[in-house]
Amino acid sequence: MHEPPKEPVKYVEANLYLPYHYVAGDNRARFMRALKDKQFIGSKCSKSGKVFVAPVPNSPETFAPCNEFVELADRGVVTTFCIVNIPVIGRDLQLPYVAASVALDGAAVSIFGAVQECKPEDVHMGMRVVAVWKPDGERTGSFDDVLYFRPTGEPDAPPESYIHRL
Amino acid sequence: MSTLRNVAVVGFAQAPIVAHDAHRVASEMLYPVVRQALAQCGVERDAIDYQTAGSADYIDGRPFGFVGALDVMGTWPPRQDSHLEMDAAFAAYYAWIRMQAGECDTALVVGYGKVSEGEPERILNLQLDPYYLAPLGLGPMTTAALQASAYMARTGTSDRDLAEIAARRRAAAVGNADAQVRTAASADELQRTPWAVEPLRQGYVPPIGESAVCLILAAEGKAETMCKQPVWIGGVDQRAELQSLGARDLTRSASTKLATEKALAMAGLASANEVDVIETLAANPVEEMIVREAMGLPARGETRPAINPSGGPLAGHPLMMTGLIRLGEAFRQLSGAADGHAVPNARRAIAHSAQGHCLQQNLVFVLGRERRWS
Amino acid sequence: MKRPVAVVGVGQTKHSARRADVNIAGLVREAVDRALLDAGLEHKDIDAVVIGKAPDMLEGVMQPEQFLVGAVGGHLKPVVRIHTAGSVGATTALAAVTHVASGLFERVLTIAFEKQSEGNAMWALSPTMPFMPPLVAGAGGYFAPYIRAYIARTGAPPHIGPMIAANARANAGRNQYAHLQEPMTVDDVMQSPMLWDPIRYLETCPSSDGAIAMVVASEAAAKKGPRKPAWVKGGASYAEAMWVPGRDQVNPHAGRACAKHVYAQAGITDPWNQIDAAEIYVPFSWFEAMWLENLGFCEIGQGWKVVERGEQKFGAHLPMNPSGGVLCSNPIGASGMLRLGEAALQVMGRAGAHQVEGAKTALGHAYGGGAQYFAMWVVGAEL
Repeated sequence: MHEPPKEPVKYVEANLYLPYHYVAGDNRARFMRALKDKQFIGSKCSKSGKVFVAPVPNSPETFAPCNEFVELADRGVVTTFCIVNIPVIGRDLQLPYVAASVALDGAAVSIFGAVQECKPEDVHMGMRVVAVWKPDGERTGSFDDVLYFRPTGEPDAPPESYIHRL
Repeated sequence: MSTLRNVAVVGFAQAPIVAHDAHRVASEMLYPVVRQALAQCGVERDAIDYQTAGSADYIDGRPFGFVGALDVMGTWPPRQDSHLEMDAAFAAYYAWIRMQAGECDTALVVGYGKVSEGEPERILNLQLDPYYLAPLGLGPMTTAALQASAYMARTGTSDRDLAEIAARRRAAAVGNADAQVRTAASADELQRTPWAVEPLRQGYVPPIGESAVCLILAAEGKAETMCKQPVWIGGVDQRAELQSLGARDLTRSASTKLATEKALAMAGLASANEVDVIETLAANPVEEMIVREAMGLPARGETRPAINPSGGPLAGHPLMMTGLIRLGEAFRQLSGAADGHAVPNARRAIAHSAQGHCLQQNLVFVLGRERRWS
Repeated sequence: MKRPVAVVGVGQTKHSARRADVNIAGLVREAVDRALLDAGLEHKDIDAVVIGKAPDMLEGVMQPEQFLVGAVGGHLKPVVRIHTAGSVGATTALAAVTHVASGLFERVLTIAFEKQSEGNAMWALSPTMPFMPPLVAGAGGYFAPYIRAYIARTGAPPHIGPMIAANARANAGRNQYAHLQEPMTVDDVMQSPMLWDPIRYLETCPSSDGAIAMVVASEAAAKKGPRKPAWVKGGASYAEAMWVPGRDQVNPHAGRACAKHVYAQAGITDPWNQIDAAEIYVPFSWFEAMWLENLGFCEIGQGWKVVERGEQKFGAHLPMNPSGGVLCSNPIGASGMLRLGEAALQVMGRAGAHQVEGAKTALGHAYGGGAQYFAMWVVGAEL
């Protein structure tokens, strides 16, 4: 029998080890494989025709199934954004960086991405951007395949065109 | 007791329980069953005025796992909603309470979560008191074995008794198209399986599997338009007990006993013998015996009510929704939809759900083909 | 509601960065004991226990309500556990109200807590998930772009958020339970580091340990109690899907729908004039301006002007977050119930130094997820 502790026990240290083996699901897997080919894939609502990126089983708006895959352009518009000054776990970006919602042309909703190759203060809502991909041979079919988005220099998109795709 | 509102189960759909769905994430498994359940009721999503869900972040392996279900449940326009970190049967219980409060007339109840992605034995260790029990490394199998050991010592139950119950459940599951394990096995075969944790053999405990489930409830006035034979809830009650394994008699389920008494009383029934079917979330033969005793039924041998004609959890135990499946199976039996595993002339049923180690918390529904209150 | 429901007791803990003086059960008991004492009741008087908290990863315990059954007096009682992200404290209180409204329970104990110092909160809230795009820099990084959109839509000047933050701290100075109580000026806030432009460090909520418990009861039970109760005049919880095109995270539909529903139940047609105090869920300063609009206290685009005129300060026309709100105490699972509980304390006349004089009607509000879950109640001093 051990001696009882001299001080009352104040803390219990518990390190949890929980292995999880996640399934991507065929929809997400298709989306990610397409990134390797510099493509964004969306799914189209059978009722409204709206396209969701990444592909989903149904439109959350109409509740109808999405049963058609669509390839989208890799360019679109910044719908809104913020300038980040603190580092993020798992990302290697230089501070400050711009985190933006980007509505790809043809998509009904936006995706998140960083905006670089311009001064953070020059980023604005409505700015047209295009994806910058990792070089050929380095893409693996993961979200890092898109390094960031950069401005295209095209004229701004009018607000009506992106206001519902925030 | 004053008159309560008659509420019925009017629709139920589930994904067949499988060991591992390699092609779909939890929300993708859920979408088709929500559509199926609504189709059964012949209604669109807008006809349902409340939605609720049961799931657990740790099973999902991510915080806020339940948020992903909103997009596949038709949560647009904004809907009245809640989510319970409990077996989805408790979400059905909560929806029933809402109906009694007059806060809704119809409810969509879902259960989902991919069990195969994590390791339940490790995960469910975390349910235990983090200071005294979890550090001992107990998991649901070991705590169940402690309970089984104590029960067998008190009652003189033998390994053979367990094997016989398990064999009956396995035989029943052959007729259940949604079960994960659909092959019969004799008591001899099951007794030859190695120990999972003694005295529970691998043949007596459920496999790891996953599913997605949707059940629809409707109050009188709506229920009749949604189902030819609504299955009316005549009584319901749930009770929790202290978790600590040394603080309660593990060989008797006081909470099941109390919940059953209260639910039967509400339903105007004198005993569990008056029902024709009991679907119970007893995850091994000893739990089943404990539940049967708590319900005032013989623990061994035949009972008048058919027990787990679906095969019960032994045939498939997708964790956070196994209880809701029991309610759904009772619905199938009483509404004439239990193809392949139907109990003839079933008019009343009990659906029992449990969660926590060693039957810590128990929920009992009493159901019937007739309305309880007029 | 089928029958009237009242809040007959409220108890909360001192919220702080780390409550190392109690374990999880101790934290919960501090609130529960105070609530029961407040209500003049014992555990045997309670018919059911409804518990809520946010992700269990925050404490490293799954479904902690299971090991806490004894601590909350739940043995052989019905116990329910709710989890609706940041709004959970509020949906939990509403679930307890529903239990009583059903006629099946006379007195229900409801509890919301978080002891998030015990785990790694940042990991618990946003672990890096495979197959999902990496979240940009946490919750602030998620909400900052919508705040930017609000500023762009309204032309609000940059000092509005800092004004809200400074005011919240001034309020917290009057709340003995608040976590962050040190006063700060608008200038202090504007000088603090910019985290996710436009959100600055001093405009963000803290990470706190804390708990709150309430007893809700039927009319008959309430009339027997020692306290003047707070009557629940209306309450609802709503959710909306995430990826709906046209979803407005600046002025969320679910928030509007929830407010409309609750106001109708409570007979509120003119929130600005009929509500005397409001405890609303503001984790980042600017949300106070945004929610003023979303909750119908003012016209769209005018929320920031209400703030600039100081009309939502303590002592002004419609004091918002007289307790200091989420900006000053944020035990995540408890925050929603703290809003609802503080609203109740106001109409019970029991908010101590942060009592809004003569408050007869108060709003408690919470939200969670990606601005998807909204839950609120209106409480009144009279039945």
